[in-house]
Amino acid sequence: MSEKKILEYDVLVVGGGISGGEAALNLANLNYKVLVVEKDLSLGGKMIALSKVFPTLDCAACITTPKVSEISRHPNITIMFSAEAKKIDKIGEHNFEAHVHQKPRYVNIEDCTACQLCEKACPVSVIDEYQQGLVGRKAAFIPFSIASPRAAAIDIINCTLCGACERVCPTGCIDFTQTDNDFIVKTKAVVVATGFNLFDPLKIPRYGYGKYKNVITSMQMERQLAPTRPFNTILRPGDGKMPDNIAYVLCTGSRDKSVGNPICSQVCCMYSIKQGQLLMGSLPMADVTIYYLHIRAFGKGFNEFYDQSKDMGVEFIKGKIGNITEKENGNLILRYEDIEEGKVKEAEHDMVVLSVGVMSNSEISDSFQGESLRLDDYGFINQNDILASPAETNIDGVFVAGTATGPMDIPDSILSAGAASAETTSYLRRASL
Amino acid sequence: MEVEKGKTAKYRKEKNPVAKEVMENLKYFTKTKKILMDALKEGDKTVPQLSKALNIPGDEVLYQLMSLMKYGFVETGDLDDMDEYFYYKIKDNGKDKS
Repeated sequence: MSEKKILEYDVLVVGGGISGGEAALNLANLNYKVLVVEKDLSLGGKMIALSKVFPTLDCAACITTPKVSEISRHPNITIMFSAEAKKIDKIGEHNFEAHVHQKPRYVNIEDCTACQLCEKACPVSVIDEYQQGLVGRKAAFIPFSIASPRAAAIDIINCTLCGACERVCPTGCIDFTQTDNDFIVKTKAVVVATGFNLFDPLKIPRYGYGKYKNVITSMQMERQLAPTRPFNTILRPGDGKMPDNIAYVLCTGSRDKSVGNPICSQVCCMYSIKQGQLLMGSLPMADVTIYYLHIRAFGKGFNEFYDQSKDMGVEFIKGKIGNITEKENGNLILRYEDIEEGKVKEAEHDMVVLSVGVMSNSEISDSFQGESLRLDDYGFINQNDILASPAETNIDGVFVAGTATGPMDIPDSILSAGAASAETTSYLRRASL
Repeated sequence: MEVEKGKTAKYRKEKNPVAKEVMENLKYFTKTKKILMDALKEGDKTVPQLSKALNIPGDEVLYQLMSLMKYGFVETGDLDDMDEYFYYKIKDNGKDKS
């Protein structure tokens, strides 16, 4: 067995999404040495996959890419991709030991020029997770066009080991002899920024997701609306028709005790309204109907954004969806309770978007040895004192940033990361007093 | 053991044989690609037309067609008369041999 390499940093940041990245950047700017451990092949988390942000309709990639580029190039930040913190021990005050496991990429990033010749040569086609399964990708692939780092990777599980990629690579950066790496990371503090999981709509079979091809998730629509979209335009996945009557079902997996998530996901109303506006721009002849329980437009500029979508022609129906069925032509019948009229009604749409909620990603709590990382009732990381020290957890020296604490939008995630870096700095300064 | 640069896939294959499902997936993609490309050689077609002609479900046709478009084999043509479905065609009339 190979010996574990020992590394030393001031702070270990778990998660390279927008919160983890922001916290790492703040700490690195204060001259702390930071290690970011990211499980995926790129920085940017879920934000980098979005089309635009609400309520400003700024391009999400245009905000994210300069940020991830700054993180990647910062001399005080080291990033480990395809890596996970398997075990984190608190040895003493300002003294943590993390066991980090890194899977091989089978590509030497430093030598890859992102020429995509390997992608072109690869004969394999598998589901592209980044495009939410709407299109395929190769087994030798660049995760997505704005990935950071923009470098190839080999999907070893789906690779036929034909060697075509290796033969065409002009820099010889592909290396199938790479193996897993294990590290012991000695650090003074830990920031947990592990984000959230999206609700799996298969848990509500009456909505027909997975069974009816024209029922999609909001993240699938997000990809369809993005400039780096999977299709030539917005199409329904069942038969490639340009939809002209699209329904949104809000609160899919949120505020619903029956699926184990009674809380509001905070972002679904606004991202659905945003998508409605973008759809009206992309498909000017289309009707967009949003079925809601309550519209929660609580943030700065949110209510104006909601009003704007109504002015643009988005229809809002206060209604609870009973079930969705499919017609022979692929259209969908929504049976719903019109809450304002107190009647059960039916409506036909040619595509349905399920506005899926934000669920906790609590996996990291199991990594903490000895004193476990406390979770709240919904599986998010518990904040010790939400008003006085919002980033503090039950373990002194472990801080939390972004949606790992609960559902929130992008500006709040960045604010939360700011709080986490400030509290981490304060903790680190205590060590030097 | 030093493995010659550029031949590391062969080295790995000797140590870790490729799973049967992976080879089956490759066969399926190659076959579907051929069927779709052959159908498009006969003329531009929409997803429902391809689905009907090849007896493949519409969602599968769209998925494979969009993958072929991403890989540079297929491109978008005109919209049909009802402005509902796009026609798809072989990229550059098949001049690009990639």
